[in-house]
Amino acid sequence: MQSIPATRTIKLEASYSAFWPQLGKWCGIAMLALIYFPLLWLVLLSASNDPLSGIPGPFSLRHYGSLLGNPQWHGPMAASLLIAAIIGLICAVTATVVGRAVARISKSGWVLVLFVLPLFVPGMSMGAALFIFIGAVLGLPLGFWSIALGHYIWAFPFSLLIMLVVTLRFDRSLIEAGKDLGASNWRVFCDIEFPLLMPGIVSAGLFGFLMSFNEIMRSIFLRGTSETMPVWSWIQAAAQQSQVPVIFALASIVLLISLPLLCGVFWLLFSRLNKV
Amino acid sequence: MTTQTNLAEAGAGDSFLKGISRTLSRTDIAFVVILVAWIFIVVLPLVILFAFSFFTTEYYETVYKPTLDTWIGLFSSGRFEVAFRTLRLALTVTLIEFALGYPFALWLAKARMRSATRAIYLAMLTIPFFLDTSSRTIIWRAILGQAGLINTILMHTGLVAHPVEWLLYSEFSVHFGLIVALYPTMVLPAYLAISLIDDTLLEASKDLGATPRQTLTRVVLPLSLPGVLAGIVFTMGSALAAWVEPGMLGGGFVNLLSNSIESAYTALRYPVVAALSAFVILLLLVLLALMYPLMRMLGFSSLTLKS
Repeated sequence: MQSIPATRTIKLEASYSAFWPQLGKWCGIAMLALIYFPLLWLVLLSASNDPLSGIPGPFSLRHYGSLLGNPQWHGPMAASLLIAAIIGLICAVTATVVGRAVARISKSGWVLVLFVLPLFVPGMSMGAALFIFIGAVLGLPLGFWSIALGHYIWAFPFSLLIMLVVTLRFDRSLIEAGKDLGASNWRVFCDIEFPLLMPGIVSAGLFGFLMSFNEIMRSIFLRGTSETMPVWSWIQAAAQQSQVPVIFALASIVLLISLPLLCGVFWLLFSRLNKV
Repeated sequence: MTTQTNLAEAGAGDSFLKGISRTLSRTDIAFVVILVAWIFIVVLPLVILFAFSFFTTEYYETVYKPTLDTWIGLFSSGRFEVAFRTLRLALTVTLIEFALGYPFALWLAKARMRSATRAIYLAMLTIPFFLDTSSRTIIWRAILGQAGLINTILMHTGLVAHPVEWLLYSEFSVHFGLIVALYPTMVLPAYLAISLIDDTLLEASKDLGATPRQTLTRVVLPLSLPGVLAGIVFTMGSALAAWVEPGMLGGGFVNLLSNSIESAYTALRYPVVAALSAFVILLLLVLLALMYPLMRMLGFSSLTLKS
C-alpha cells in the first residue's frame, strides 16, 4: 500500500500515437461528466416548480418550503447524524491505532487483508451475514446499534487506507530523536506523532462520518424498525411518487453540505501531505 | 503484559497471529483488542452465513439440521434464471467498465500533467463513494424517463416522433446506472497499480525495440494485473449484489439476486437469505479462481500483498 505518487511526471505516451492517450482521457472525462451531471440536475430540479416533469424551471423554492413544514424526516436525520458522528469518531481512533501498528509490524500483508476484507464482500451479503449473526444466532434485538455496527465495518477499511497514506510515510527516526532527547512515550506521541498524523486522523474521521451517513444496503438488513436518512428516502421514493420532490430537496441540501466538506478533506490531504 | 496477550493469541495455532505477536512484542494492547474484535464482527458472521445456508426453514422457524435442501431449492424454483440474468448483467457491466476505465487509469497514472490536476481527478473519482446512492440513482428517472431530458431533446430535434420507452425501466437503464455508479470502483485500483510501475521499465521496453502495443500488453498490463483484478472483483461484487439501481431504474422488470435476497428476508427464510448471499460471495471466489491461471500465464508467481 503505497501513497499516491502525485508528483510523478515522467511520460509514457511519447511512444504512443497521440490518439490513444487522448481516447483514455476523454473516456474518463465523459464518465466523470455522467457521474456529476445528475447531481447538478438534481439540484436544478429540486428548485423547480414541478420536478417530476423532468425539465428544470420555472424555478421556485416551494419544495424546500414543504420540506421545512414536514417534520417526518427530522427523526431519521438526527439518527443518521448521530450514528455518523459516533462512527466517525470511532473510525478516527481505531484507524490511528491500527494504522500505526500496520506501519510498524513486518508481516502486515495478512493483517491488512483482514481489515479490508469488507471491501471485497458485497454490501448485501455483509448485511445478511451480520443480520443472521445478530438476529438469529445471538438473538439480540436489532436497532440503531446494529446499524452502527454495520456502518463501522463498511467505513473502517476506507478510514484505515487513508490513514496508511500518512502512517506509512511517517519517519520513525523522529520518534527515536524525541526519546533520545528524554521525552516520555506519551509526550512523543502528543508532540511529534499526533500533529504529523493529524491530516490522516481528520480524514479518517470524516471518511467514516460520510460513509456511515450515506450507507443504505447494510442498514436495510440491520435496521429492525429504526430508520436512518437514506433508508427513509428510499422508503418514501419507493412508496409514493408524490414524495419524490421533497426527497430531491432533501438530497440537494445534503449534497450541498457534503460536497464542500469532501473537497475540504481532499484539499487537506493533498496539500498538507505533499509538505510532510 | 502485552507480550503475554500476544502469546495467548498465538496459542490458537494461527501462524500469522504468531508472526504478529513476535513482531508486535512492544506494541500496544489496543491493536490486538481491535484485531480480535474485528475477527469477531467480520469473519465470524461470514462463517456463520455459510453455515446457515445448510439449514432449512419450516413454518417460519429455522431448522438447525445440516442439509443441502436450501441449495437445491435455490436453483429449482425458477431462480436459476434470476441467477443467470444477474451473472450476465454483472459480467457485461464489468467488461464495459474495464474497457472504459483502464485507458483512463493508464492516462491518469502515466501521462504528463501537473500533480494538482491529477489530485483533482483522483478526488473527483473518490467523492462519489461518499454520496447517497439512492438520490444519485433516482435522478436518472428524471433524465431517462418519457418526459425526461433525453426524450425531450430527441423529440425537439425531430429524431423520434414518440418518446423512446426502453431508456427507463429496462435492462438498458439498469446497465447504464450501474456502469456510471461503478466507474470509480474500476478506475481507482487500476490507477494505483499502474502508478506503481516504475517508469524505467517502460523506457527499457522501448529501448529494447518494443512497439508501444507490445509494451502495453507485455509490461504494463501484466504488472498492473493485481490492481485490475481488484477492480474487477470490486465492480463484479457490487454489480452481483446491486440493489438500488435495479430497484429504482428497473421498475420491477429486472429481477436480480438482490431482489430474491430481499423477498426471502421479508419471508423470514433466513437459510435462503444465507444461501443466496453466500452464493454471491462464491461467484466472486470462482471468478478469482478462474483468473488465477490467467495471472500465472502472464508471469505472476504470487500476488504482492505486502506493502
